[in-house]
Amino acid sequence: MIEQKPAIHTIGIIVTHGDLAEELCRTTELIVGKLTGCYAISGSDFCDEEVIGRIKEIIDQARSSRAIVFVDYFGGSCCINAVRAVRGLKGVKVISGVNLPILLDFITKRDSFEFQEMVDHLINRGKESVRLIEF
Amino acid sequence: MISLIRIDDRLIHAQVVIGWGRILHPDRIIIADDDVAASDWEQSLYAAATPPEIKVSILTIEETVRRLKGGVFDREKIIILLGHPRSVLGLMDLGLEVDTINVGGLHYAKGKEKILDHVYLDEGEKSALRELVKRGVTLEAKALPESEPIILNSKVV
Repeated sequence: MIEQKPAIHTIGIIVTHGDLAEELCRTTELIVGKLTGCYAISGSDFCDEEVIGRIKEIIDQARSSRAIVFVDYFGGSCCINAVRAVRGLKGVKVISGVNLPILLDFITKRDSFEFQEMVDHLINRGKESVRLIEF
Repeated sequence: MISLIRIDDRLIHAQVVIGWGRILHPDRIIIADDDVAASDWEQSLYAAATPPEIKVSILTIEETVRRLKGGVFDREKIIILLGHPRSVLGLMDLGLEVDTINVGGLHYAKGKEKILDHVYLDEGEKSALRELVKRGVTLEAKALPESEPIILNSKVV
């Protein structure tokens, strides 16, 4: 009997200016190994129209009922493009201010929570990750 | 008082708010765009993306001219943002006097001709800019306040 790989329940799409998306994913891989169900769209590679098209294409083709689009900057062009791409779609959320702690938590815990719980958790994780180091 | 009229197809974004905002210290940013003025979700995003110390108005072209001429913003330093060159023609057709516009960002899309790093034009945009040149407007390409200004007038005719 052929074992089928379980469907990934939540895919992640990272959309940023410059090469940040690619580099965030690459750095996450250094820590947790090869990423699956995680896609980087770096602003230096695509124009606005292509970004919107790429996001829609990824969501369309993924075997998943849930997706989170992580963008770099609230209200920036990546954020606006992400919303343009996913408005009206079910099971898709957009979170701004993506950082390494958020991505690491997403990869390691994405199927452990109900969707809204996970979104709340990731946002808290991001906020908590900014702290003064006492020494 | 209008500090800057800028064409930028991304409207409010970091380059405008931080790059230009920290030099010009505007009291208000006006997005003059009929489509955005009719779109609730875009208005909320753009308004929320602006830091609290800068007021935002998202108006149709007609409303923008009406309020400017009516003196509503006389005591404020204003940046006017437009997504398209033809919007500047719209403002002028309704009686707003414009002598210089900042052509900040018209980004790459398929079929557009590259004029500068941040200025890609399709036929419609070129024709609108040509009309602006005919009307005596100086088209100054400047991504940020400290960028070397490039006059585009001769590049669009």
